[in-house]
Amino acid sequence: MASQSSNLSVIGRAARVRGRITGAVDLEVQGYVEGEIAVGGDVTVDSGAMIGSSVHGRRLVVRGAVKGDLTADEAILLEDGARVVGDVRAPRVAIAPGALVRGFVDTGANGSAAPRTARAQAPATRSAPVAVKHVPAPPTKPAAKSAAAPAVASHLAGSAAATPKNAGPRRPPPPVVPALKKAKGQIAKKKER
Amino acid sequence: MASTVIGAGITIEGEVTTDEDVVVSGTLRGKLTAKDAVTIEHGATVEADVAGGSLVVAGSLTGNVTAAERVDLQQGARVIGNVKAARVTIADGAQFKGNVDMDV
Repeated sequence: MASQSSNLSVIGRAARVRGRITGAVDLEVQGYVEGEIAVGGDVTVDSGAMIGSSVHGRRLVVRGAVKGDLTADEAILLEDGARVVGDVRAPRVAIAPGALVRGFVDTGANGSAAPRTARAQAPATRSAPVAVKHVPAPPTKPAAKSAAAPAVASHLAGSAAATPKNAGPRRPPPPVVPALKKAKGQIAKKKER
Repeated sequence: MASTVIGAGITIEGEVTTDEDVVVSGTLRGKLTAKDAVTIEHGATVEADVAGGSLVVAGSLTGNVTAAERVDLQQGARVIGNVKAARVTIADGAQFKGNVDMDV
């Protein structure tokens, strides 16, 4: 432990990480992480930290916000100020007064199982046996996918004008019916090949 | 102590953005953006485009580098990529392959 500063990893208060964090050592998160954390050492989620994905470590100490499943080989401590939306699995789980949890808690023997990535369905569908309070979810949900949809749709519409096989419901019907028939015939020929 | 430390033994695959300084002793693949000082220590492996206020490299870095102030490649550094900064120094014993773009 000569150079302790390089053995402990810190995601600082002003830092944002989008991606996976892996390793065999300890990690302290003070900032914002949107991506899976899976380390072999201890993970500390400080107050003010926000994590938008699953966390796995040997021991977890949480004082910040986590939206995702928590799994640990040994123990999970949810301390005052912790806000967790997701499942909590470890051989030992402690929820201190002031910690808010919405999700399934499992202290079964298989806490060391590999972190599962079923967080999309987990918090919403299950009943919350230890729900202390309804927690407003941290705004970390990746909802940018739908932005790409219009471009794809217009692209599809463009190709449909050339060979109208399956025009979308919003498109007006093609004005010339014989052209449609002709195009359909072309498609059928293509499929036959 | 730096506000963000990617310690030895830690691997980050993705994008790291911060307004403060960063020390990398582990492995980073993706992108690193900082407003302040970035230090890539000996033994670190960075495969990323790096932007920062100033940059000190003693480890291995593959990627393009942009710094507002300066870039110092120290002895033992191994850098492949283009470097753009107002001032760039390359110490004796540093390996470097790439373009240097200083404000001439």
